[in-house]
Amino acid sequence: MRFVTLAAAFLFSFSAAAQTPPGYPADYSKTVEAAKKEGKLIIYATTDAVAATPLVKDFEALYPGISVEYSDLNSTEVYNRFISESAAGSTADLIWSSAMDLQVKLVSDGKALTYASPEIPNLPKWAVWKNEAYGTTNEPIAFVYNKRLVPAAEVPQTHTDLEKLLAAKPDFYKGKVTAYDPERSGVGYLFVNEDVKNWPEAWNLFREFGKTSIRLYTSAGAMMERVGSGEHLIGYGIFGSYALGRAKKDPGLGIVLPKDYTLITSRVAFISKQAKNPNAAKLFLDYMLSKRGQTIIANQALLYSLRDDVDGPASVKKVREEVGDKARPVEIGPGLLENLDQMTRLAFLKKWQAAMKGQ
Amino acid sequence: MPYAVIRFSVLAVMAIAVLAPLSLVGYQSFLSAPFFDSMARFTLRAYQFVFAESDFWVAFGTTLIVAGGMTVIALPLGAALAFLMVRTDLPGRAWLEPLILIPLFVSAVVLAFGYVVALGPVGIISTWVKGAVGFLPWNIYSLTSLVVIAGLAHVPHVYLYTAAALRGLGSDLEEAARITGANPWQVALGVSLPMVMPSILFAGVLVFFLGFELFGLPLVLGDPQGLLVLTTYLYKLTNKLGVPSYQLMAVVVVVIVAVTAPLVYMQRALLKQAQRYVSVRGKGLKQAPLPLGPWRWLALAAILAWFTVTVVVPIAGITLRSFVVSWGEGVKLLEVLTLDHYAELFDYPNIERGILNTLGIGVFGGALAVLCYTAIALSVHRWQSGWTRVVDYLAMAPRAMPGLVAGLAMLWVFLFFKPLAPLKATLFSVWLAYTVVWLAYGMRLISGTLLQVGPELEESARTIGASPLRTQLDVTVPLIRYGMIASWLLIFLIFVREYSTGVYLLGPGTEVIGSLLVSLWGTGAIDLVSALSVVNVLMIALGLAVALRMGVRLHG
Amino acid sequence: MADLTVKNLGLRLGDNEILRDVSMSVPRGKVVALLGPSGSGKTTLLRAVAGLETPHAGSIKIGERALYDAASGANLPAEKRGLGLVFQSYALWPHRSVFDNVAYGLKLRGISSDERKRRVEAALSQIGLSHLAARYPHQLSGGQQQRVALARALVYEPPVILLDEPLSNLDAKLREEARAWLRQLIVSLDLSALCVTHDQVEAMAIADRIVLLNGGEIEQEGTPAELYEKPRTLFAAEFMGSNNRLAGESAGAGKLKIGDQIIEGAARGEIAPGAPAVGVIRLERVRVSDTPGPNRMKLELKTQMYLGERYELVFALGKSLVRAYAERGLAEGAHYVEFPRDAFWIFPSKR
Repeated sequence: MRFVTLAAAFLFSFSAAAQTPPGYPADYSKTVEAAKKEGKLIIYATTDAVAATPLVKDFEALYPGISVEYSDLNSTEVYNRFISESAAGSTADLIWSSAMDLQVKLVSDGKALTYASPEIPNLPKWAVWKNEAYGTTNEPIAFVYNKRLVPAAEVPQTHTDLEKLLAAKPDFYKGKVTAYDPERSGVGYLFVNEDVKNWPEAWNLFREFGKTSIRLYTSAGAMMERVGSGEHLIGYGIFGSYALGRAKKDPGLGIVLPKDYTLITSRVAFISKQAKNPNAAKLFLDYMLSKRGQTIIANQALLYSLRDDVDGPASVKKVREEVGDKARPVEIGPGLLENLDQMTRLAFLKKWQAAMKGQ
Repeated sequence: MPYAVIRFSVLAVMAIAVLAPLSLVGYQSFLSAPFFDSMARFTLRAYQFVFAESDFWVAFGTTLIVAGGMTVIALPLGAALAFLMVRTDLPGRAWLEPLILIPLFVSAVVLAFGYVVALGPVGIISTWVKGAVGFLPWNIYSLTSLVVIAGLAHVPHVYLYTAAALRGLGSDLEEAARITGANPWQVALGVSLPMVMPSILFAGVLVFFLGFELFGLPLVLGDPQGLLVLTTYLYKLTNKLGVPSYQLMAVVVVVIVAVTAPLVYMQRALLKQAQRYVSVRGKGLKQAPLPLGPWRWLALAAILAWFTVTVVVPIAGITLRSFVVSWGEGVKLLEVLTLDHYAELFDYPNIERGILNTLGIGVFGGALAVLCYTAIALSVHRWQSGWTRVVDYLAMAPRAMPGLVAGLAMLWVFLFFKPLAPLKATLFSVWLAYTVVWLAYGMRLISGTLLQVGPELEESARTIGASPLRTQLDVTVPLIRYGMIASWLLIFLIFVREYSTGVYLLGPGTEVIGSLLVSLWGTGAIDLVSALSVVNVLMIALGLAVALRMGVRLHG
Repeated sequence: MADLTVKNLGLRLGDNEILRDVSMSVPRGKVVALLGPSGSGKTTLLRAVAGLETPHAGSIKIGERALYDAASGANLPAEKRGLGLVFQSYALWPHRSVFDNVAYGLKLRGISSDERKRRVEAALSQIGLSHLAARYPHQLSGGQQQRVALARALVYEPPVILLDEPLSNLDAKLREEARAWLRQLIVSLDLSALCVTHDQVEAMAIADRIVLLNGGEIEQEGTPAELYEKPRTLFAAEFMGSNNRLAGESAGAGKLKIGDQIIEGAARGEIAPGAPAVGVIRLERVRVSDTPGPNRMKLELKTQMYLGERYELVFALGKSLVRAYAERGLAEGAHYVEFPRDAFWIFPSKR
């Protein structure tokens, strides 16, 4: 029996490599051929290598002959390296980053190759921009909390709950809530900005943050580490993917997807206009968006898949089960560029600082 | 080839290696956009922007406090430690020596995170103390803690310089004081310490300087309170505008370089003072240690206490973290023990290559770097010329750049200087970045050993007909070979622990543990960070043990 | 002030016996020189007296006060011995001015600052350096540094002052002047001094008594004249002055057979006839003549050197050389060289 499945898997991968998948253009095999000639694919990404390994391995199995060089960096480093290297003439083939606004900026600056993926029909509308930038994941932004120290009855289920909880028990939660620092962290800015767009009363919550001396960090790892240890009790605005990975190891960490609205962010990928291996990059992009790639994203990488036809612990279905129609995806598109406008940004941060002082 | 040609080519290569990244940064500070952007125009806007930022001035002030505070702490402790080790009958001096130097070789990020686990608000020791006395007498995230920890961690710097000066001090000067009627303590305070004061102050200036480029400690310990120093302010600056603005980062670097340049001048003056003392020293007879009596156990206890706080506590913290899935309030550590992080670490793509690369860059890269430093030091050795001052400033300048910026500037050099471009994806790029950043440190090591070579040994070779180059190859280099081996060891340790410089050069084939640590810290994989840190510390300990075993002396 | 006496002193450094059963004394108001080749233990003896080295046997006393006594276990630390020491390197503290260098000993003794000033000034004027009080050591010449070092050791009036090769760092001309100055100063201040030197001329010039050390033991002790004129051992004879050394074998008491000729001399020690022996004669005692006679040998003149006040002649005797002084130069060729009997000492030879 086992042999049969193995053989089937082998046959499937063989046929996938040799033939055009259903729904793909007839000349897709040419792209595959060209990619194999290139033989190599360079990716700069913010997804850490451990999470990305199953994807990369499976891709290499699917297309033998193409080896993937995968570098994981933080989002600023990805951006710096990419623009420096592309100015010098040669850089990575595929850029895959969770800093949605920076990715959109690069695309709008004309750094991306236009490529209509055959998987577009299977993707939500918000996840594709100009046939250049592609959202690859559907990551809910969650609350995390310390299961040992936060009384079960107090665990906030909505943003409003959290606001009320902090107002009710300011002493208990003083210095015990943590979030990304919008002044020092790009995703931090993105999250609070989206909060305000989706929920105008968010400023009230932020003022409660200020009153309870919220601790602001630049790294999700640092935040979850401290919530797990009990140094802090509640983490606000944490990537659901990170939280899920961490909670799998540390049973003391609880995750809540807020029921009033849950922000959905996505890791954005695009192919560099200067790609040396554009065909291999196309294959990888299509693969990530394909059912097979998304299944791995939902089950092994735990980055939350975005296709409706994929099941798993980190899938769009799972998110829907929890929050129903309250998911609020951040749309990939020019709207994000506003975030990078200097005046808007400084003005927003000023308002944030005032809120931190309780004003 | 005439010697002058060789000398100038060595110095020219050095100057290019230093000035290329530095001038890129300086140039960038006067532009409106990245220098490679066709939109870039000359402007002073970046300076205006940074100087108008209140955060900049706060960070600047904090940096001064941190640098000054850690100097005030490290200086007396380091000097006292050196005196106890070199001049007294303190028990266990032989095995204390390598221990004292350990803080030099442990990544600041590792130390800092170790402190969080051990002494943080719910740290292992903190929980215990809270249980015993009811409250926690310290706050690890405060400015005070940062200053104290940074101060304690820099004690070895002061120790190294003071100990070397004390060893070089002619014992007759101290004996003369004793004959004149001074007891051991009067000798120490009246003669020995004043005589090595230039060296102590030299080390003090160095520590103050290092305070400006402190990064790992404020990154981790300053994070929760939003405490900013200039190096971490760079982060905030990058993000405030949404897009990394190199011109603003460059301005901050230019400010740091400008502020630290006078320190190099002070160091030169102090060194001259110290050498004047050296030139009048007498015979280096065997020095009888001063008897401390029962006080020596107290002194030993104080040193062990320092060592515990500075090394044992944080390393125990990080080691413990690497073996548990979680920790903190309400966690029973015995129930959460695991080896998974190590298993996961060794599943991490290319981790073996990262470890091998780190070893390679330490062992071979370290040796190569020592050869380069030796070539430069020899070029200015006994050279009566104003150019030596230029060389001193050049050597110190790269260290004034925070590691991350230095790394980014190096990336630019490899990108935009076409002959080097093919080497970008090789370990050579990382090696060059490390070698340039640690230039001042390496040069100081080598010129320290060169000072001990009597000029008459070289002069006699010249008189019997050896050219300057021959003399250096046949006389000077063989004479300093033990010093070179010791420098190799120190550079090995430094290269193995270096973390921020290599981040921008990190790629397939150039993974080193230091940049992997930073990258993992960024993605929040603290399990892996702690396990990898332990591996890193073990490598350093192993390197140190092997070298000591082989008879390498830490100073000549 | 009383005598410095050293009795049966033994000192080891590691496994090396540096001093063996050494006894000597410095009488009050006298200058004693410790003379010997390098490695003879003379500096170690001085340092042991100063308290910078620790012996394992014997005693060191000043009058009745024991500085060190192996029997009673007494061992005063250097600073409690109250001696003055002038280092070979002078060991002036580079971070203190001349005044402060000299004043330090007084300060340690709790002397008031007025008194201190007076005494330092007195000491500096004694050595003729009052005008340099504010200078730092590196601004002084070698000779000036030496004087400051001496003033520093003298200013608190130690019972004995110790001098370690005090003149060796000066150049030749300066050294002779300094020697006379030092002797005169020591005598005029009525000091007791112990002075280490490897230079026998310097020792004879400065000292009232000389202690000659060899391999950690005292070879001979006495006035300079005794050591020069009546050496008791071959080592002492050869160490003092400039000498000719003629190897041969004993031909009975007071007779040395060199080649086929017999020279008569003063026997020093028992030698069996036929045993190897050595004849030693100071250069200035050798005479040259044109005619044969008793105790004369016919030797070929190899070369002669003009030294200003006299000539030095070099003759060949087999493969070795015989040197002599003469008022005038000699003609080339063979001459008769005489070894006066009372100046020709015959010692047993170990060979």
